[in-house]
Amino acid sequence: MSSPLAKPQIIAHIQKSLNYTVFDSKWIPRSARFVCLGNFARGTGVMQIYEVQHGEAVLVTEVEKPKPIKCGTFGATSLQQRHIATGDFDGNLNIWDLEMPDVSVYTVKAHKEIVNSIDGVGGLGIGDGAPEIVTGSRDGTVKVWDSRQKDSPVANMEPGEGETKRDCWTVAFGHAYNDQDRCVCAGYDNGDIKLFDLRNMSLRWETNIKNGVCCVEFDRRDIDMNKLVATSLEGKFHVFDMRTQHPTSGFASVSEKAHKSTIWQVKHLPQNRDIFMTAGGAGNLHLWKYEYPAQRSKADSDGTEEGVAGSVSLLQNATLSTQPIASLDWSPDKQGLCVCSGFDQAVRVLIVTKLNTV
Amino acid sequence: MMSTGAMFSGDQSSTGDSGKVPVEHLDYGYIAQCRDVKYLESIWRVLSSGDEGIYPHLIEFCESHLEKLDPRSRALRKHRPVATAASLSNEEWSQITDELKTWQEESKMTQTLLKQQSVFDDLENINMPPIRGSNCSIPLSQTSVPKEKRNSSKRTLPRDYGEWDKFDVEKECERIDGNLVKRDPAVAMNTGRPKIKTTVDAALLTEQEKLPLANREKNKGNEAFRANDYEEAVAYYSRSLSIKPTVAAYNNRAQAEIKLKHWHKAMSDCRRVLELEPGNMKALQRRATVYNHMGNFRMAAEDLRMVLREEPQNAAATQLLSETEKKMKECQPEQQRKGKKILIREVEEEDNCNNGETKAEQIAHPVEPSQAVGGEESSAAPAERGDMGNAQKKPHGRGDGGPHSESNSSHHGPWRGKGAAADKYKVAHDSREKVANGTSKRGSTASVPADQSSGGKEAPVGGNAEESVNLDAPCGALPPPVARLKNEGNLLFKNGQFADALEKYSLAIQGYTDSGIDSPEDLCTLYSNRAACYLKDGNSQECIQDCTRALELQSFSLKPLLRRAMAYDSLERYRKAYVDYKTVLQIDAGVQAAHDGVNRITRLLIDQDGAEWREKLPDIPLVPLSAQQHRREEPPSAEVLQARAERKAEVCFTALKQEGNDFVKKGQYQDALGKYSEGLKLKPEECAIYTNRALCYLKLERFAEAKQDCDAALRVEPTNKKAFYRRALANKGLKDYLACSSDLQEVLQQDPNVQEAEKELEEVTVLLRQSLANASPAKARKTVPITEVEGDEETASASDSGGGTKGEGTAINLQPANAYEFGQALNTARSVGDAAACADLLASTTPEALPQLLSTQLDGNTISFIMQALDSHLLERDPNLVYQHLNHLHTANRFSVVLMLLEKDERRHMTQLFEHLSAVQSPEFTKNDVQNLANKYI
Repeated sequence: MSSPLAKPQIIAHIQKSLNYTVFDSKWIPRSARFVCLGNFARGTGVMQIYEVQHGEAVLVTEVEKPKPIKCGTFGATSLQQRHIATGDFDGNLNIWDLEMPDVSVYTVKAHKEIVNSIDGVGGLGIGDGAPEIVTGSRDGTVKVWDSRQKDSPVANMEPGEGETKRDCWTVAFGHAYNDQDRCVCAGYDNGDIKLFDLRNMSLRWETNIKNGVCCVEFDRRDIDMNKLVATSLEGKFHVFDMRTQHPTSGFASVSEKAHKSTIWQVKHLPQNRDIFMTAGGAGNLHLWKYEYPAQRSKADSDGTEEGVAGSVSLLQNATLSTQPIASLDWSPDKQGLCVCSGFDQAVRVLIVTKLNTV
Repeated sequence: MMSTGAMFSGDQSSTGDSGKVPVEHLDYGYIAQCRDVKYLESIWRVLSSGDEGIYPHLIEFCESHLEKLDPRSRALRKHRPVATAASLSNEEWSQITDELKTWQEESKMTQTLLKQQSVFDDLENINMPPIRGSNCSIPLSQTSVPKEKRNSSKRTLPRDYGEWDKFDVEKECERIDGNLVKRDPAVAMNTGRPKIKTTVDAALLTEQEKLPLANREKNKGNEAFRANDYEEAVAYYSRSLSIKPTVAAYNNRAQAEIKLKHWHKAMSDCRRVLELEPGNMKALQRRATVYNHMGNFRMAAEDLRMVLREEPQNAAATQLLSETEKKMKECQPEQQRKGKKILIREVEEEDNCNNGETKAEQIAHPVEPSQAVGGEESSAAPAERGDMGNAQKKPHGRGDGGPHSESNSSHHGPWRGKGAAADKYKVAHDSREKVANGTSKRGSTASVPADQSSGGKEAPVGGNAEESVNLDAPCGALPPPVARLKNEGNLLFKNGQFADALEKYSLAIQGYTDSGIDSPEDLCTLYSNRAACYLKDGNSQECIQDCTRALELQSFSLKPLLRRAMAYDSLERYRKAYVDYKTVLQIDAGVQAAHDGVNRITRLLIDQDGAEWREKLPDIPLVPLSAQQHRREEPPSAEVLQARAERKAEVCFTALKQEGNDFVKKGQYQDALGKYSEGLKLKPEECAIYTNRALCYLKLERFAEAKQDCDAALRVEPTNKKAFYRRALANKGLKDYLACSSDLQEVLQQDPNVQEAEKELEEVTVLLRQSLANASPAKARKTVPITEVEGDEETASASDSGGGTKGEGTAINLQPANAYEFGQALNTARSVGDAAACADLLASTTPEALPQLLSTQLDGNTISFIMQALDSHLLERDPNLVYQHLNHLHTANRFSVVLMLLEKDERRHMTQLFEHLSAVQSPEFTKNDVQNLANKYI
């Protein structure tokens, strides 16, 4: 950290206070707009669209929905349509056309309880294969949806009879580098991380990181699984090298304790998979870089291939507020632009500089 | 500092885990000396906790020291408030806001564009993959490990008797099979990395969408590159290029290919960049790297100089240039050889694409089956050593039979070019027989020992082994077993056994993948060949697949494209066929089949789609210029053809010479003789071959011919010791002792250390005296050769062919017994431009025999030379004979073809001759006859 000027800087560009609790914020692809999802104090849901104009976020649209909206994704929509898929407190999965946000294009009662997390793949030219949405819920199930199929999921990952249901906090797609292969990773409140292989419809790998898994994300969804970052309740995050799976010890990982509180979010830079940002419970953001080891795999004593984890280094950090930052989203189009929202009822647009020189 | 006991104990209790830090250590002196990062961190924690009091300066000092030791220490991570616009300089901030503004404007534009395009949504839905199989559920607890346990525990349980009744064998087998397959998916995952599709179907995308998508794929490539995963990087760059070809992606792919050492691919990528952007420095530098690795140092240096002209500060280029120049100097003497190697490889590649292309005829000299050598070899060996005694002093002298051949004792040594070329011909020859017994496998296994044994051992194995060896002809970089499979495939294909050939090719492809070599050209050829089999078998689907694979390996490769076009055509997928045909024509406008295909399909498509048929076509890929020129230049440019023929001749020549040397080593001089003669036909100016052949003649006691060869050698290289020495031996054999002694003296003058020569000289002097004493009439005759040796007359003696009579030197006793000897004589005469000798030769030949004697050797030069000889020498002497010759010459083989290829100058000679001839009054022929004859020529 010798020359501070060469380091990326996190700059607060726009800050907008809101009159509701915002849970999620997402950039609309190919635009300077973002969507905020949340709930009003009166117990209803809200969806707002803002446009970045001349250093300000201008409200474009606001719609009120009956149920608070927890999460949303653009991952499974085409570039032309850019429909947002959302999950709400009541367990519903809705897809909205943002041009006409009053009526949903697709609705399904996906879960019995709140949809904690949602992710999409196959849209926006990211990931080969069918556009699919995955939802994870407090009811312990993870379900994969195809908007062309009404009422029922195309894949359902649920605990067997008699097993205790764990609260699924986070889901993420990955490994979608061809028509057939696709994986879903889910993190649970007890620290379980499970990797489901949608091609073979099987559980490919599972591990436990001891504390509740707040967020998981693959570094890219549309490549042969490369890395997975999982963040945890007590402020640690783990980076797994997903290239080499050992039959018994699984994937190699490196962990880092960064924040003094829960890491709520991790998001990889869309333009560079080795840079990611974590958002913590104390209102701070940390920008990380993963460095690969010289050899990504080695043979263990039995001669089986085993992964070797690299290292992570902190590029920059910044404290935005005293309240947790619950959502974070990089702009898919403009490198370094990101939006984040916290429990202090504010949404912020940040600029991270010098990302292309790290 | 604070060192009271109370504080010390307080310290112990309050700082918990870092309690081991005694308070004395919280000191500038201690911290400055401390090298233990962990301990410094605990000191820092104690200090910053404030339990010991607050010392901002000490904390700072501790931090700065810590940073020196470990700049990445966690203790140094500080919570920073978020930066704002104010924390940046005005300039920086305005730059950022400007960028942001342009982006906002751009995204507004794309917004509106995207809205307009939403009409095409339906189109995209067509291409969408189907919905996943209905509601599948995956139990959360299911893992591979416990599952296996369950299986095994069930299997160990003994069955109930009742259960056996219900036992369904098939079901059980299936179950067990299933278990086996599922046993360990995790391990299977790691063994082979699944291939990434290298193309993206971007046909439906608009330009607007293509660019970001292409960029995204390129970014993925960059990331993979940074992670040292070059193959993946290449795949993603290829994807990016398939969406939208960009300079950057080509450039990056070139770099990745360089990392993978795929020189040829890297080269083609660099070339494409330079086509798109001629002065691209990166591409130039990368091309220089590739050239450097391919051994083409001159071109590398050229590229690097170009880079340095633009970027004089480029350190990497400077370094590479100096390296290259160093290598260039080192390799100066070797360059020749290196160049040859590359040439050989090129020829092989051409060979690999065999498809009924007639191979150069000059290759067509099958290896004669080895003869039993017996005692001859052993007796020859010492003699040979004696001969070569002087040669050993210069081991790198070009083509001195003996010492050279030692390094290549096996037939299939480094001379791969020869192997491929000569053997190929033989495959064709022996094919019928081989296929008839259908024991190609057995044959080839039998050949393995024969292969490895060198020299004389081959003889007992006999012709059969010889045949099967041919199938081992190396092909490109393919390992021998794969190469054999391929050759077998080629052979079967030629014989019309397409299904069998198919099998061979499939095995070869399998072998290729197993062997793990990297030679996309070869794999491409294999796929292409297999595609041809599929096509012949009418299996168009498979053909298309193979062609596509081949094209993935080598885009814009003509044959696979054409075959795919035909396959599409036969499947009535006319649009795709049309596109492929068109692409073929872009590569080579001379492909008739493609022209026909395009014409036919155009009509069909017009019938089918009406006037707007073109709009329904998929994009016709633009063939990069490199691929076009490469193909296009070939057919029309005679120079290229000639150059290629020369190259082939070169390869062939080296091979023949080598074989000749091998035969000499084995003492099979007759065979060696054949080889050398063939070699001389290709390259009449090669001194070493003359001397080598002279040696053979000497061994066979054909002294006159030996002498002739020595003369020829001396013409090429007037101071060749070996030639002198051998001519001396020949003269001795011819009992021309005077010439012999003068030759020996010449040898000794050049190199007084040649003991053999000295010994010979002594011997010869004795003999000379004897002969002088014995026969005085011989004396007059024998003085002649002395002048012959030094004088111009030498040329005349060169045309003295095969007579083998005594030293009648100047007298042109030309009685060529066969076409070979005639050709030999004619060639020698021509090579020195001695028309008189030719005239003499012709005078001694009967006109009726002329066409036969000329046989296959007739070419433009020969004709024109004969014409010249007839015109300038023979016409005055014997116009009648001239007429007769001309009257028969035009019946020779290939005459009409040769006539067409005559050059202007040569035609002029001919017209002259006929003019002169018609001017001659003769009882044997009339002017009319001449006119008629002239019509046949002109």
